[in-house]
Amino acid sequence: MKVFCAALTCCLLSACTQWHYDLGAPLDNVALPPENTSLAEALQLLGPPLRMSATDHGFVLAWEHWNIREQSLGFSLGAMGADFLSADWGDMRVKGDFLLLTFNEHRLLTSATRSTWDNDGGGGQSIQPFFNFVSVVDADDLTESMPQHHWGSYLLQSLPGTLNESSSLDSGRGGLQQRGTPSAVGQQSLRMD
Amino acid sequence: MKPSAAVIAMALGALLLGGCAQYDSKRGVEVNWQDTVTTQLVNGQSTRRDVLALLGPPSQVIALDGESALYYLFERSQGKGLILLVYNRMQIDTRYDRAIFFFDQDDVLTEFATRLYPTDEG
Repeated sequence: MKVFCAALTCCLLSACTQWHYDLGAPLDNVALPPENTSLAEALQLLGPPLRMSATDHGFVLAWEHWNIREQSLGFSLGAMGADFLSADWGDMRVKGDFLLLTFNEHRLLTSATRSTWDNDGGGGQSIQPFFNFVSVVDADDLTESMPQHHWGSYLLQSLPGTLNESSSLDSGRGGLQQRGTPSAVGQQSLRMD
Repeated sequence: MKPSAAVIAMALGALLLGGCAQYDSKRGVEVNWQDTVTTQLVNGQSTRRDVLALLGPPSQVIALDGESALYYLFERSQGKGLILLVYNRMQIDTRYDRAIFFFDQDDVLTEFATRLYPTDEG
């Protein structure tokens, strides 16, 4: 009986959670179009882009596919009525493809680049009393919805944000960026919001 | 101290308790860019007014140095999960139905492309 109770308690003390995100369609089989490909041909090959922005002499189009695997393991005495301490471990794996095509004002392809990655997306461990104040794995910035959904609301921000709307990376006029780009560097760091 | 039968039953119940979850999330504009609709559009002839009349307001309007583009996006996420208390797993698949239309400075359609995923593909 003691062994049974001990085994049962061990089972109740721990829990494992996995989150798998698959964002967009895979791009593995997509070949990059050659230079001077027309916009029409590129669209026929790749379909509508997921991100787009005007540039000084044309525009850039981007396609992306993300596969995010987040897993966490927690130990807590909560199930036994003593939720004063919990220990957590988390890890994240990020795989993806990103295609970036640049077109000139004549709608001809001037450059095509591809980025493929399979990286450790971070993780952590914690021992926390009473409540889980800190999440050891954070994938929020990688799983957020596309910027097109918020496009109209950019003009309804507070005044500094609205005045800077034209240089926003989500406006379609100020360039574009991949998911998960740190906000403290590059163009975002100049935003007043 | 021996655990009572009730405590054992509760512990066993918690261990055996399993659940599942399923959800759909849909965001964006209504999908009106099926092939049957876009066959009515002709590059070099149709205008922005025609596209707007057929598809409605877009998700985004992009200015391209005198030219412009209308972007339509419908984001669909399907999630399914297994909840066994000691092991939980969630799988979320997101697909983007989208359409893009390019216009010249006279608002005449020059190029367009659409992509629709089957609803059961996730």
